[in-house]
Amino acid sequence: MLRQILNYFQGKHQARTALPCMQDNNALARAMNQDQALDAYVYTVVDTELTGLLARKEEIVSLAAVRVQGLRIVPGEFVYTLVRPAIPLPKISTLIHRLTPELLVDAPALHEVLPEFIEFCRGTLLVGHHIGLDMRFINRACQRLYGQRLANPCLDTMRMAMLWRDRNRSSQYGQFDTRISYTLADLAEEFGLPRFPAHNALGDALQTAYLFIYLARKTARTTPLTLRELYRAGQRWRWYV
Amino acid sequence: MNAGIQPVEPESIVDFFAQTLPFSELDHASLVRLVRHCLVDFFPARTRILRRGISDITGLYIIQKGAIRLFMEEEGTLLDIRSEGASVGALSLFKDEKAAWDAETVEDTFVIQIPRQWFFDAVQRHPSLSRFYLRSFADTYLSRTFEEMRCKPVSAHDDHSMHFLSTPVADLVSREPVSVGFGLSIQAAAREMIRHNTGSLLFREPCGSICGIITDTDLRKALALGLDTQAPAETIMATPVESIDAGAVCFDALLAMMSKNIHHLLVTQNGQPRGVISSHDIMLLQGRSPMSIFREITSRTSIAGLYPLHARLTPVVRTLVQQGARAGNITRMIAVVNDQILVRVVELLEQEFGPPPVKFCLLLMGSEGRREQTFATDQDNALIFDNCVADFQERAAEVYFSAFTERLVEHLVQCGFPRCPGQIMASNARWRGSLEVWKARVTVWTSTPEPEQVLASSVFFDFRGLYGHKDLATQLRTHVTEACAGRDLFLRYLAADCLKARPPLTFFKNFMVEKNGEHKNTLDIKARGLLPFMDFARVMALRARVRETSTLGRLEQVQAGGFLSRDLYHEAREAFEFLLHVRLMHQLQQMEQGRTPDNRIDPGALSALEKRTLREAFGVITALHGVLREEFHLNMG
Repeated sequence: MLRQILNYFQGKHQARTALPCMQDNNALARAMNQDQALDAYVYTVVDTELTGLLARKEEIVSLAAVRVQGLRIVPGEFVYTLVRPAIPLPKISTLIHRLTPELLVDAPALHEVLPEFIEFCRGTLLVGHHIGLDMRFINRACQRLYGQRLANPCLDTMRMAMLWRDRNRSSQYGQFDTRISYTLADLAEEFGLPRFPAHNALGDALQTAYLFIYLARKTARTTPLTLRELYRAGQRWRWYV
Repeated sequence: MNAGIQPVEPESIVDFFAQTLPFSELDHASLVRLVRHCLVDFFPARTRILRRGISDITGLYIIQKGAIRLFMEEEGTLLDIRSEGASVGALSLFKDEKAAWDAETVEDTFVIQIPRQWFFDAVQRHPSLSRFYLRSFADTYLSRTFEEMRCKPVSAHDDHSMHFLSTPVADLVSREPVSVGFGLSIQAAAREMIRHNTGSLLFREPCGSICGIITDTDLRKALALGLDTQAPAETIMATPVESIDAGAVCFDALLAMMSKNIHHLLVTQNGQPRGVISSHDIMLLQGRSPMSIFREITSRTSIAGLYPLHARLTPVVRTLVQQGARAGNITRMIAVVNDQILVRVVELLEQEFGPPPVKFCLLLMGSEGRREQTFATDQDNALIFDNCVADFQERAAEVYFSAFTERLVEHLVQCGFPRCPGQIMASNARWRGSLEVWKARVTVWTSTPEPEQVLASSVFFDFRGLYGHKDLATQLRTHVTEACAGRDLFLRYLAADCLKARPPLTFFKNFMVEKNGEHKNTLDIKARGLLPFMDFARVMALRARVRETSTLGRLEQVQAGGFLSRDLYHEAREAFEFLLHVRLMHQLQQMEQGRTPDNRIDPGALSALEKRTLREAFGVITALHGVLREEFHLNMG
């Protein structure tokens, strides 16, 4: 409640209005049938580049999403944009994603691009690598601007990778192997995926999409898997709603 | 789209297409268009993708990562393993049929699928795509490989972006030809040339056709000879005028000028004169000029002065390669230059020895005879002289020619043509003789075929006359053609010998290389790659009574004679030229590194594209062997 009041004062020039496509999307998402096979869903693979990791004070500087349908990537359907943050861009983040303040000066602000992004996600499952982080940033903005969060169910490719590794672990000792990395680049390397430029939102989104169809097909190899079963298999799945 | 979202395509997938044949030929905008409609799919290892005769082909699969095995399950045969960058399903798409083969992934495989509709959309916009998929050994594909090899950096001179050799002659023509009717005096003709500021003047017959030409050189000669300037110009006119079709490329023009020792060519289009080009026009187009070597050869007045000229070829050839000349043209060019050096040596030697007792002709055999010389060329020559009428003349000829050829071989060694290890040289009495002796030899070779005889003679059949009375060579060639015509047994032996050379590919289409020794992991591209083509062309040429000696020329005439299918001829020509090119590039590189050129290439050092093309080129050998088996009924053996 306090947050809402604060938000109200912060965003006085941005009236908090309900977005029709947002409501439409959330209605569809809540009604989603979870007992279909994985290839029956339409997915949106999301990736963001950020000024930092704390959702409370950092911001999005780049936003990308790629469509996956029938467990096949559709490279022609995607959104990608730079976003002008409201806070000064910290140098440390520029060093990671190579986006400079100058590049972002002419970029649109987040509230200008969100409606199209939500339209793109309409009624789909969201997929991302450690998607919880991306969703915290996106939902904070949605909350502030439209008074509600995205209701789309989310799949985390990082957890899927953990699940896949658990299933294929040859020995118990592997569990305590500290060398195991779950970064996107390391997983792509390990599974022999085609590589894309890291720390570019679109490149990472594509890379995640490749990782996703790889894991989805591999996991569903023996028996067809429904969405509900996948959630159950990864007990620590969370719904970032 | 909202103003906020930038329309940037997933560049990485566009890049993948840009590096994948045949899409690499497409411009960026077309690739973006294609990427917009394609799908990326993933199949775990050992997933069945297509079932032969059952699966519908919904689009073209291009392997982004991984590999796909094509096979026929019922027959249990493996057809091919396709890896990154290769595509599956094109042929069935074009034929609009079900899958032609079974297909399964070998490992985890990512494929990019271009849906049927969009594939055909792209094919319609870019005919080059269908050409690539429908032709098994496509021109475009080869030229890409050539392009790649051409661009391999070695030389400091990398700025030769101009492809002067492939420029059509018509592009050099800057104006209408200047022509006059008959009846002008020499002086008036000279005045006419000054008025038009031209170096050459054409003469028209009353009916309008061009019949002669006067150039600056002719005027200079007229002055030197003290001709009356009021004499009719026709007295110094050269006729007939050498002409070249407007569609020919500059390389052909250059060759024509060099071999005829002239500097002007009339350019004609549909028989009508379009203009005149001079050697100067061509030289302006290019950097380092083959013409300059040629000039020097003719201007040297001592044999020792000719010694260093052969070495000057290397930079010229490098220039030619960079300018996009193809191997067939380059070897022809090397042959022309080597011919000129040889002719000049013989000319000077003849001046030294005095006139020979009888007419003679110097024959070139082997690679020189076929005009397929590269850098590592040894001497393969022979001498033929006219039949002697009297005993003493015969003895005189023997003395003269044995001394003559001994010196000749020595000089040629100094010029950079090493002795033939098999002693196939005119200085060897076995490779010298009168026309009658030669005819008898040919008859012996063709009528009593024993393996050694066949092998000893095979190089001989590539002979051509170089210097002297070429009609002697022509007569001998006629004799050879006739001698072979009735001798099926002899040709069968030659053909059977060809079949011994198997293409250097293992069962899985990998390259067979030397397993150990000094040449470990290398492949003798001459013995394993080029010789099968040369041998094939030789046998078939003898069979088809073709007098031509170059491999490409032979293949062409054999095809014209109906002994070879058009498709196979085309493939053989491309494959041969490609192998020649690989060899040439290899030797060029060695020469520039100061090593002795050889024929041993390391397949591991080639690019993926080169490897694939090389593999296909070797594949053609098997097809040619099939033709030999059919033609000479060698299947029983």
